[in-house]
Amino acid sequence: MTNTHIAATGLPFIVRRFLHGVSLMLGVTFVSFLLMVYFGPDKTYELLGKNPTSTQISEVRHTLGYDQPFLLRYGNYLKELLTLDLGLSDSTGEEVKSILTRTLPISIALVLPGFVLGNIIGLLLGMLAAWYRGRWLDKLLMSASVVGMSVSFLIIIIGLQILLCTPYGLNLFPVRGWQVHDLPSYLYYVTVPTLALLLVTLGYNTRFYRAVMVEEIDREHILTLKAYGTSPVELLFKHVLKNSLIPVITRIMFSVPFVLVSGSLLLESYFGIPGIGLVTFNAITSGDQPILKAVVGLTGLLFVLALMLTDILYSAVDPRVTRQ
Amino acid sequence: MTHTTWQRLKDDRYGIGGLFIVAFFAVIALSVWAGLLGQGWSEVSGNRWESLSAAHWFGTNLLGQDIFQRTLFGAATAFEIGLIVTVFSIVLGTVLGALAGWYSYSWLDEVILWIKGVLDSIPFYLFAAAIAFALQGNRWAMHLAMIITFWTTTARIVRGEVMRIKQREFIEAARAIGLPDIIVVFRHVLPNTAHILLVQSTIVFVAAIKTEVILSFLGLGIQDGVSWGLMLAESSQEVLAGHFGNFVAASVALFIMLMGFNLLADALQDALDTQRVNS
Repeated sequence: MTNTHIAATGLPFIVRRFLHGVSLMLGVTFVSFLLMVYFGPDKTYELLGKNPTSTQISEVRHTLGYDQPFLLRYGNYLKELLTLDLGLSDSTGEEVKSILTRTLPISIALVLPGFVLGNIIGLLLGMLAAWYRGRWLDKLLMSASVVGMSVSFLIIIIGLQILLCTPYGLNLFPVRGWQVHDLPSYLYYVTVPTLALLLVTLGYNTRFYRAVMVEEIDREHILTLKAYGTSPVELLFKHVLKNSLIPVITRIMFSVPFVLVSGSLLLESYFGIPGIGLVTFNAITSGDQPILKAVVGLTGLLFVLALMLTDILYSAVDPRVTRQ
Repeated sequence: MTHTTWQRLKDDRYGIGGLFIVAFFAVIALSVWAGLLGQGWSEVSGNRWESLSAAHWFGTNLLGQDIFQRTLFGAATAFEIGLIVTVFSIVLGTVLGALAGWYSYSWLDEVILWIKGVLDSIPFYLFAAAIAFALQGNRWAMHLAMIITFWTTTARIVRGEVMRIKQREFIEAARAIGLPDIIVVFRHVLPNTAHILLVQSTIVFVAAIKTEVILSFLGLGIQDGVSWGLMLAESSQEVLAGHFGNFVAASVALFIMLMGFNLLADALQDALDTQRVNS
């Protein structure tokens, strides 16, 4: 649950969530405007020749919009984001919009398998641990998840690369790159990043899902069903999982931006995969402002949008939510 | 910490193990700060990529610097980052969380929750990049980015706890005798959240150290000194050529330290009997 309350104004639930979402969107875009446009580097002198005259300076400042009032500049940034009119990249001169639409599918193809597997396997292991709570299997899984939580993403990536992609290990997969044109080549390039993503998320996921399941398994109706001899599989999937859908959905929705952004940022810059993460990484190292401000603003907007959808989904899954 | 809590912690073998690991690294960090260990971390004391020897326990790196010295110095860097980020973000989270919880459902609560919502909506590494961009190479940009974003979890937990505590009778009594809000909050409410803050501190500490590794790899990390994150970033170029010194030293040190903190956090959570905070 997001724990956010808009004081009871008597408005319908969906309208309240919508207003809340819009206020968050304004906040997110305002922060990225403030950091990257307003306090960002002054580009005036990069565009000017040597010994510029003061009229040249003010001309350039005018075309960059630096002479406009604060709120107007924020409004312009907002308009750029909403109309996807994102300008040109500083380093390549390509349109930011076309860079993003070209690279986004690659990033999704890259992180989706690891994300889905990480959640499914985490959920299954969490159930298993919860079912055998306090027994050796539970202890084993929980110890393994603490180990998993103690390994840095970067160590997993480098370690897997050594083990699977170099002559010092099995040398089965490519060291870097992304030459994908059909399913076998996709599997050839996606396997190692997927394993890395799986390993880095599995410890956290298993622990989280176990905690959720443990709470639900202790409920009386589950105990009753157990006493009636319902099979564990039916019990877990039909009764326990169904009743713990809300924390599960929240978890998944909240981890989407983490996995998509940090997953693609690290995996792509490490393995040289030309997705949105590599574009962002290059923009960070070269200080490419048009790309950075577009990526930060848009991911923030999309995240808030996803949150709003989740909230509305909740009210469909569980009507009690609307009465908070 | 009460007597029974300490007893419970002492009976937890894993927790005590974690405590020893943390203490071990803390001693190394203190010795580095005191100038006793790891002082030769930047000296070029050998040839490039020397293997293990009596002079260079973990070998040398690309520039011929001693990897053992750099690993020791990295422990101090990790503690510096962990301590700074933990102290500031916990204090910030506690104050804002207490305000939001004490004045729950007021406009102040709404504003604090809104700020928290906004910060939670920006993916962290992008936020760190944006802060670094705005501060243009300031050496505290990384710490600042972590502090600004890490307080939100603490605030959420403290807010919930304060809302629960303020309905208890002893708080009612304190208000009934006319104590001002600020005294009630600081003397009677917040001390009752100390156990949660202790656990939360270990969690934030782990998060800060792990985050530094990624940020250093992305070029947004520390700028002077050496950290395990920088060593790992360095090693990403070396492992393909078969030089594993940096990688093994930094990842083993990092893993053991994080393991220690995670075990300690779990044991504290069990000993203090707080609700699990798994997020």
